Amino acid sequence: MSRHDFGKEVNMKVDRRTFIKGCSIAAAAMGLSETMVPKLVEAATASQRPPVVWLHFQECTGCTETLLRATHPDVGRLILDIISLDYQETVMAAAGHQAEEVLHETINKYNGKFICVVEGGIPTKDGGIYCKIAGKTAMQILAEVAPKSAAIIALGTCAAFGGIQAAKPNPTGAVGVQDLVKGKPIVNIPGCPPNPVSFLGTVLHFLTFGSLPRLDNMGRPLFAYGRKIHDQCERRAHFDEGRFAEQFGDKGHLEGYCLYKVGCKGPGTFANCPVVRFNEVGVWPVSVGHGCVGCTEPAFWDTMTPFYERLPGVNLPFAGGAVQGANSAGMKILGVTAAAVGIHAVVGIGKKVLGGGKDKTSEQA
Amino acid sequence: MRYEQHYAWSILLRLFHWSFALSIVALVVTGFYIHHPWTNTLLEGDSSFPVGTMRYIHFVAGFVFTGSLLARLYLLIFGNKQERVWDFLPVTPRNIRNLLCTLGFYLYCPVKHEIKLGHNVLAGTFYLITFVMALLQLVSGFYMLYPESMAWQKWGLMLGPQQQARYIHFLIMWYFILFAFIHVYIVVWNDIKSKEGLISSIFNGTKYTHSS
Repeated sequence: MSRHDFGKEVNMKVDRRTFIKGCSIAAAAMGLSETMVPKLVEAATASQRPPVVWLHFQECTGCTETLLRATHPDVGRLILDIISLDYQETVMAAAGHQAEEVLHETINKYNGKFICVVEGGIPTKDGGIYCKIAGKTAMQILAEVAPKSAAIIALGTCAAFGGIQAAKPNPTGAVGVQDLVKGKPIVNIPGCPPNPVSFLGTVLHFLTFGSLPRLDNMGRPLFAYGRKIHDQCERRAHFDEGRFAEQFGDKGHLEGYCLYKVGCKGPGTFANCPVVRFNEVGVWPVSVGHGCVGCTEPAFWDTMTPFYERLPGVNLPFAGGAVQGANSAGMKILGVTAAAVGIHAVVGIGKKVLGGGKDKTSEQA
Repeated sequence: MRYEQHYAWSILLRLFHWSFALSIVALVVTGFYIHHPWTNTLLEGDSSFPVGTMRYIHFVAGFVFTGSLLARLYLLIFGNKQERVWDFLPVTPRNIRNLLCTLGFYLYCPVKHEIKLGHNVLAGTFYLITFVMALLQLVSGFYMLYPESMAWQKWGLMLGPQQQARYIHFLIMWYFILFAFIHVYIVVWNDIKSKEGLISSIFNGTKYTHSS
């Protein structure tokens, strides 16, 4: 929807062409063959749409926003079209007791059949009082809904790994869904925000094959998180040929060279961003000149920071607890060692000189 | 004064030592380059691949490092008496005494210094620590070289995300720099103090004891 459409009557129905297009995008993202598209279409148009309960916890709602505010609302609308979104706090019309009623009705009516989408981390400290909806803590709501679901999709880094609120020192004890819920199939679709196409692909895979896609050891679908950003990056040639932006705004940066030296975390991050891209206009952070911050990795606020350095600092106890760059910390330790070695050698020479060339500690000849 | 010649280090151990040492030099230099590529080509289409080349050298040296480590692992179990792991660990009373005496010897204390054909126990302990560090370096290195390998899926996430493995890899590199620095100093110091042909022994395999 462009801004020229503003004020016009918007047709919210997805036409067939758009629908097939969306299914094809999802099939391509999952690495499925073209011949699978009709199967996806068939599954997506089945009369019984899977009911979905969408829970919001400790988060910024950015994951929902990225879905809803796509420039062309195809993917977002497609997702909302193929699932029966029975409970979603951001978009539902119901409020208060009505909304609570819908939630209970859905989880009891479709016991063991609905998909539970979780957005946001779950605070666990002090009985989980740091996130409450309708008088219940996030922990209570999840404990109530999760056991009745068929599968859980943890959407976004917060729901998958705890996200920003789990960053050290994690004041609210926030954790991801997988830390609390056991015995249910859980798919993590991390990212800050995650790509809606990865979410669509997972949902379509579930509808088509009745199972979840293959996951990596962090519960992320391999079709979206199977490769490093660095290995798919359009600036990779600049990396191999040694052309770098030394700092933001310099010539290398303006020329679009590799952002490795300004702290891009693409070499340590698994995601499909360079391929699927965002906002359906073919952009992603590196394409607009900012390094990857590694938002799809667990604890990225702790391990990927500082965002504009290659490696985190080292806490040196003898430097007054000051956080040093890993390199300068190494140099300092080496300096201390060199000083110790120097003193050791001087003591040895001094003893030799003062002792008139005789050294009692050496071998008995 | 009479010198007695003793065969101490097998050819495989000497090969291990030098391939390990030289690969570490190559790995540290190229590793620093990969961490912070200090050149900047700033010229397009000149068909030079400095970062690609440095990475290639790093990986080849990494495989040499791996091979030398495997050789040392073999020698720790099946090597000659001096090379086996029990010979130089502070596990027997005799070895614990050797450890303390060596510490005293290094601190210029007037202690009776035991002549030991193999490693002294202080050195041996640090060699084993270095061996473990090398294994960690190896695993974190291969974790970054083959991140998509299914092996990691099965073994779980021992090293955390890639970025954490990179951090661990970088810190352990500093251990090797410090180790090499102290190692060379102590070897030279020992060669001056003890005169048992310590430095040449890693080339020709023989050490000397002297008796009057």
